[in-house]
Amino acid sequence: MTTVYEALAEPTRRRILDLLRERPRMVGELVDVLAISQPGVSKHLRVLREVGLVRVRQDAQRHWYELRPEPLAEVDAWLETYRHLWNARLDRLDDYLQTRKEKEDNHDNE
Amino acid sequence: MTMNSPVKPMTMPLVITRMFDAPRALVWKAWTEPEHLMRWWGPEHFTAPVCKVDLRVGGTYLYCMRSPEGQDFWSTGVYREIVPIERIVCTDSFADADGNIVDPKTYGMGDDFPSELLVTIILEDVDGKTNMTLTHVGIPTAGEMREMTQAGWNGSFDKLAASLK
Repeated sequence: MTTVYEALAEPTRRRILDLLRERPRMVGELVDVLAISQPGVSKHLRVLREVGLVRVRQDAQRHWYELRPEPLAEVDAWLETYRHLWNARLDRLDDYLQTRKEKEDNHDNE
Repeated sequence: MTMNSPVKPMTMPLVITRMFDAPRALVWKAWTEPEHLMRWWGPEHFTAPVCKVDLRVGGTYLYCMRSPEGQDFWSTGVYREIVPIERIVCTDSFADADGNIVDPKTYGMGDDFPSELLVTIILEDVDGKTNMTLTHVGIPTAGEMREMTQAGWNGSFDKLAASLK
């Protein structure tokens, strides 16, 4: 199963998401802008739909592809978890380095 | 278009920089020697009862961080790159006490949490102080990763993340 991370790892898919961020588009338009084949675009759209980053809205005969940003919240959440964890660790590293430095300074003065 | 560049780490924009008022050699020791690591690894009130380090390319580390409630969080990884006092690149995964990589779900992470992350630590000397840049990126295992370009990822992701706010 493709994950959101894998879906985002492919440059063309990120370009598609950028284009859809501006406004919903049809496949033909994406084919023109990206200058890749329609089957190629369709394949990428399929992956993006699988992970829920893109949804299709049908309007008469037209299929509009639009961005669905919700899964990105999960990506953002893991970043936040790690940012918090690292900052907490680095606060302690900072304190530790100060202690060490004082020790070495004292040692130098002896 | 197929790019034949080697695998590049995906740069999720988790980049943390810190200026430490300490010489680079000391900061390097703090990151690489167990007796130093055990003094600071983990958030406040956590302890680090185990820090094993085999500091060579291909070598592994195993850290345990213990919460005040006594819950242990094990992590392990492989050193990919080591440039003394300048740079460390290593993988980072959740682990068990024997150093086996475990599913992030074991630690309560979501289904989609990457099982392996890549950490890069760069230390720069700035007039006797040390500027550290830490990058923590996710590593999808799909073959498509090979086509990743750093710039493309950063640009898109920043914009996408911004669009969430």
